[in-house]
Amino acid sequence: MSTLTRYSAIPYTGPAPTNREPYVPVEATKMDARGGELAGRLRVEQERGQDLPTLLVEKERIVEVLRALKEELRFTLPLDLWAVDYPNREKRFDVMYQLYSLDNNERVRLKVAVDEDESVDSSMAVYKGFDWFEREAYDMYGVRFAGHPNLRRILTHEAFQGHALRKDYDPAQRWLCTEKDVAKLIPKIDPRFENLDTDFERVTLNLGPSHPATHGTLRIVVTLDGEKIIGTEQEIGYLHRCFEKSCETHTYQQAIPFTDRLNYMSAIINNVGYCMAVEKLLGLEVPARAQYVRLVLSEFMRIADHLVCIGTNLVDMGALTNFWYLFQPREEIYGLIEACCGARLLPSYTRIGGLAVDVPPNFLEDAQRLVNMMPKYIDDVDNLVARNKIFLDRVVGVAPISAQDAIDFGFTGPCLRACGVPFDVRKATPYLGYETYEWDVPIADGGDTYARYLVRMEEMRQSLRILQQAIDRGLPPGPVMVDNPYVALPPKEKVYNEMESLIYHFKLIMHGIQPPVGETYFQVEGGNGELGFYIVSDGTKNPYRVRSRPPCFAIYQAYGQMITGQTIPDAIAALGSLNIIAGELDR
Amino acid sequence: MPIKRVAPGVVRVEPRKLSLSERVYLPQIVAGMFITLRHLLKNLFNLKKLPIISYPEVKRVYSERFRGRHILTTREDGTTRCVACYMCSTACPAECITIEAGEDERTREKFPVRYDIDLLRCVFCGYCVDACPEDAIYMTRDYEMAIDTRARAVVGLRDLVVPPNFPVEPMGWRPYYGELEKKGTAGGTGLGQPLRQAPYPDDAPPNPDLYRGA
Repeated sequence: MSTLTRYSAIPYTGPAPTNREPYVPVEATKMDARGGELAGRLRVEQERGQDLPTLLVEKERIVEVLRALKEELRFTLPLDLWAVDYPNREKRFDVMYQLYSLDNNERVRLKVAVDEDESVDSSMAVYKGFDWFEREAYDMYGVRFAGHPNLRRILTHEAFQGHALRKDYDPAQRWLCTEKDVAKLIPKIDPRFENLDTDFERVTLNLGPSHPATHGTLRIVVTLDGEKIIGTEQEIGYLHRCFEKSCETHTYQQAIPFTDRLNYMSAIINNVGYCMAVEKLLGLEVPARAQYVRLVLSEFMRIADHLVCIGTNLVDMGALTNFWYLFQPREEIYGLIEACCGARLLPSYTRIGGLAVDVPPNFLEDAQRLVNMMPKYIDDVDNLVARNKIFLDRVVGVAPISAQDAIDFGFTGPCLRACGVPFDVRKATPYLGYETYEWDVPIADGGDTYARYLVRMEEMRQSLRILQQAIDRGLPPGPVMVDNPYVALPPKEKVYNEMESLIYHFKLIMHGIQPPVGETYFQVEGGNGELGFYIVSDGTKNPYRVRSRPPCFAIYQAYGQMITGQTIPDAIAALGSLNIIAGELDR
Repeated sequence: MPIKRVAPGVVRVEPRKLSLSERVYLPQIVAGMFITLRHLLKNLFNLKKLPIISYPEVKRVYSERFRGRHILTTREDGTTRCVACYMCSTACPAECITIEAGEDERTREKFPVRYDIDLLRCVFCGYCVDACPEDAIYMTRDYEMAIDTRARAVVGLRDLVVPPNFPVEPMGWRPYYGELEKKGTAGGTGLGQPLRQAPYPDDAPPNPDLYRGA
């Protein structure tokens, strides 16, 4: 605490004055009605004028309310838990919960006000999936969750002092972590294997953080009995760069390159998700041409993401050829992205209000060429491995997770669909006009590594279907950026020649985009599942809070349970099939 | 894999049952090798079409939007176009641009006394080019920026400023407007795009001093 006070250099004086009207989402009335219904049923207060039904819950009642929501109202999928810091309020923190109902396709948001020296009851008894999310809120804000079995830091290291996302934390500080600070992780032995009587000596083994098979900086500590994994412990945060804090210290527009680095395998989807969240806050309607390009590139990126996932998963199992073979179409996709925006892996192509530049003239021909060549690659790999006895022996029944568990852990995306749950954000809450295309959500049974492979393969084919329809429709005419000087930079020729445009240009660069006061959440279907952005604006040029809902984070916390009882090679195969991207996991 | 429609908009992927030969495995390993062999032979007789670039003897040409190393353009009289307005350093999300402004005694014009870009901090997002109101900063298609010390990653005016009438047409990310936008030259998409053989007379770095070391 002493260090924190010493370094608390930023005096926070509350929201800056703004002359803009508070943000009231279009669907607020409908959401208020539904929120009132829920609030009446659960006997809690309701917050009006939000983009989701929002309930204000007292901290003593949160577990009770969550249980009622889960069991009576079927909000079974725990999407996200995060906190927001309002230092000037009586109760400093808002702990926010977001739940989704698979049966009724609706969302609800809960807010619990907690003060600095108070603790809130852990929701883990109701939703297993909030385990790591609560640890993250503790790590970033110091909110304590009473009853959490393992409440320690998750994204920052042991020598870190203070809580990074608090408003009075100085982001310029650095903390050094030396070897003696690093906690020794001793995996807890799974109760099923506690009394296992074998002749083997128990060995504790470190996988990672820099291991070729982890494809990212993940550390997994496993206790082995012979070859069987009987206890695991995961440590993450090696790639943590505090994306959320960086967003708070930069303008809305400047955060776009940061979003590239979340899931860097499908960076355009992150750009799109973030920009659409801010556009929702601004109430902007993006031109049709920009929406079209966003959709086409998102689908290409999804294919690239799945290609890499399947390729690296196969290389972990020894099928090196497929990896090299699948990188060829991915390379071609990156070529198309590069032709559009000048960078391959980290495009930063979208801007708030549209796109940075228009697509090149031969965009559609290139896209058509890619769509034509892609099925051959997918089919070749499918023919090589899908009925290959060695491959099947490595994947069928490996690291399975039941649909019930997957939902409870907050799975989304291909990993959830591999358990037979057809939840896809593009179908549930369509954006960018996905509802106008004809395509199917693929599901598979079993929830094992093989099912995840099957779902990803089919998803690529479905993406190609969407792309073919999009190409047939052709590029909509018109601009790629909104015509609004408070959001879009004026065209360069006007900046050089007209006073008015030059002023707008200076204003926008210096003062940034200033959305109205308010908060919003927007979700897109990322390569790994629901990628959501929750943004709070205080009317200034910097976001007050940006929260990204990382799909990997929820998925990876189930990994320990999935591999217990399996062997090390199975664990590696399962890790590849979950497609854990460290950039998104650690943010 | 056979797919079965289970609900509107939802299909189930069902694994195919293995035939006897697939379960025995040996015939299938031969079949699998035939797929690989087919590709090998096809590539062997089509060496030109191999998706491999023998870098650095052959280089890929990136599009004219490529976001590579920066240059500062010059007016016809040899002075830099930059007026040290700090727009680029304000727009930069990586905070990698450091500018110090000076004033010309004679013309009372503002100009940069110091203009440093830390290429190790730079994320090559192109925001500086978008922010410049003076057509002063462009990004080239030069992507070879290997260095051996951190100090050499900081490039200053000496490395960035190009001579007057430096052809900006073949550069990378630049302000798109007027004729340039209509022409909209796109690069390739990987395969089948132009390659260049070494040596490359046309893409010598604007200021070779950078590569000789500071």
